[in-house]
Amino acid sequence: MGGSNEYENLREAILDGDREAAVAIGHDAIEAAQDLTEPVGVASGVIREVGDKFGTGELFLPEMVLAAEAMQAFMDVVTPHLESEATEGASARHGKVVIGTVQGDIHSIGKNIVATMLSASGYEVVDLGVNVVPMDAIKAAESGGASIIGLSALMTTSMPYQKEVIDLLDAMNQRDDFWVIIGGGPVTMEYADDINANGWAPDAAAAVQVCDHMLSSKTTPASTNLVYRAAG
Amino acid sequence: MNLDRILDVLDKAHGGPVHKERDFNLGVVAATISAKVEKYGLTNTVDVQNPIGSDDDLADRVYQAGFEAAVEIGLLCSDTNRAITFTSEELQTAIDEAPSEFWLGDGDQRVHFQHRNLDDTTAPVWTVPLSIAVSEDIFVEMVHGLASIGVVDCLEGPSLETIYGRPLRSGSPYEHLAGRYQADLMFEGIRRAGRVGMPMDAIGSSTTHYGLLGGYGVEGGYRPKKDLVTILSIADFWTSYESLFKLTQVQVAGGSHISASTWIMLGGYAGGPEGTAVACVAYSLLMFAVFQGSRAGVPPFDLAYMGNSGRRAQWALSVSNQAMARNTNTVYHSVANQVSGPGTKALLYETLVGMTNMAVTGVTNVVGTRSAGGRLTDYLTPLEHQFGGEIFKAAAGMSREQGNDIINKFIPKYESDLVDPPDGQRFQDLYDVAALKPIPQWQQMYEEVKQEAIEAGLPLD
Repeated sequence: MGGSNEYENLREAILDGDREAAVAIGHDAIEAAQDLTEPVGVASGVIREVGDKFGTGELFLPEMVLAAEAMQAFMDVVTPHLESEATEGASARHGKVVIGTVQGDIHSIGKNIVATMLSASGYEVVDLGVNVVPMDAIKAAESGGASIIGLSALMTTSMPYQKEVIDLLDAMNQRDDFWVIIGGGPVTMEYADDINANGWAPDAAAAVQVCDHMLSSKTTPASTNLVYRAAG
Repeated sequence: MNLDRILDVLDKAHGGPVHKERDFNLGVVAATISAKVEKYGLTNTVDVQNPIGSDDDLADRVYQAGFEAAVEIGLLCSDTNRAITFTSEELQTAIDEAPSEFWLGDGDQRVHFQHRNLDDTTAPVWTVPLSIAVSEDIFVEMVHGLASIGVVDCLEGPSLETIYGRPLRSGSPYEHLAGRYQADLMFEGIRRAGRVGMPMDAIGSSTTHYGLLGGYGVEGGYRPKKDLVTILSIADFWTSYESLFKLTQVQVAGGSHISASTWIMLGGYAGGPEGTAVACVAYSLLMFAVFQGSRAGVPPFDLAYMGNSGRRAQWALSVSNQAMARNTNTVYHSVANQVSGPGTKALLYETLVGMTNMAVTGVTNVVGTRSAGGRLTDYLTPLEHQFGGEIFKAAAGMSREQGNDIINKFIPKYESDLVDPPDGQRFQDLYDVAALKPIPQWQQMYEEVKQEAIEAGLPLD
């Protein structure tokens, strides 16, 4: 394997959401004992393109989910063979995120989009679903060894549960154990700052950038000012 | 309400086909909608240069595609992971049994809802505002101001951000208290406005069923025979016990009328504008079947900017409205989802476009305005609601062609800002709250845009 044709096939496999093809290309690359940095970089570039096109309305959610699943399938094959933890454009796995829609709120699409983009960008994502009780989010992060807790809320009446997660971490002297990123329709950057969240993002692509920024930070969650990215 | 139908829905929610989330979203919803778009020749029929089309055949094909999709998809109950599905015969019976007209309210404030056709002069019904959060200390003043507007027929929101000074938490006992508390504040607001008897939608502050349990059909609360219960399902063919509890509470309290609605995400599992239009029809039909809606409706919501004032969404809104108006005799309702905030001309332009579209495409009732996208506390004022009602009622009776010409004049004024819209200002900044008068700058914007609307052909004077 190697050369632009194989990478074009990989690109097509991801864009088409063809998991089987993506897995086969991954195995071919390993058998050829080639440097896997380049195809991983290609795959990362493709998934960024997919995310951008979703953001501008050129691609729709089903296509993005299938592309992300193909990307994940490819990464699952090649990750154990990567020579270093970090490769250009995308690491094997950036970190682990537990994500959910908070208690009292059963909206899922926004949370699903963010989870999809994080997975496609190299994060290990544990999706807790909807109506997640604050303490359950913390327990899941603890038991799963997550670095980040992502909390979505689509209603003003469920936003207090985002604050509740942070308040519980404070009360249990565990604020430095997890980075907390929040988002959702009525959730503003000012609100995120007010409740001492670590990250806020207006869309899924920005959420990935915020998570990248938080994990590369030299500071701790409790001592870090709000990290945010504007739309676009 | 028909108890046998309620029991049938509950039985289906506990005995219907089992689906996992991913498989339902992709394998059922996305696949079915995509197949219907192809089967009925709807691919690439979107015409963003003419968001309000006049193609009756297209509207009918969207309806047929939506009807078939409704039968094949059903609604997935998130608490049981089972789909509530109907045969074609069951679905058609539910549509036929939905009322073509009904009354709400009391005394001289009674309001008549009736089916509207395309280009119909029948007066539509304007319900305000959406359940946008408002500070507790100005809640009654806000309701007073909204209810004082002559073109306003009914009230839905606003919603409370706090009750008794405490944050209102979804699904908590605070929400249970909020049901009755909101009723008290709403009745006081309409009393001050001199509109006792005005119909209301229950219950804006509580998205879960707890508010309804606490404030509907209880002494001093919302009135089962006079008011409407709003049941909002989750987007894209999901429902839950929350919504089903609301259905059963209407039955238990001896209620008569439900508004069953939700939205379809343009760019979501239904895909582009054509799939979204089909899904809006399918989901609307299921709202009548599952919740026995006296009125029902499912507008699109574009994921690109979380509103529906853009061309793609306006097209999907128009076509799905037309499909329902031409092929059913139901009371259809919808929502204009603006993103710009009060105190900006952009909000008024978005409102003009959305309300004109719905007036000429057979919508009976609109609930609005979604000032500032509903995302900011206190970012709504009575004035944009007055403007929305004036437009809605003035445009009723105009043709689709006239409507299309008008909205094409105004969409260019805001469409480039939809992704990053102006927030505007709060009620407290744009009004003399005690006197319930807009500040001169906001009043002047309203007058200027109203004049533009008149010059564009809307009979507002």
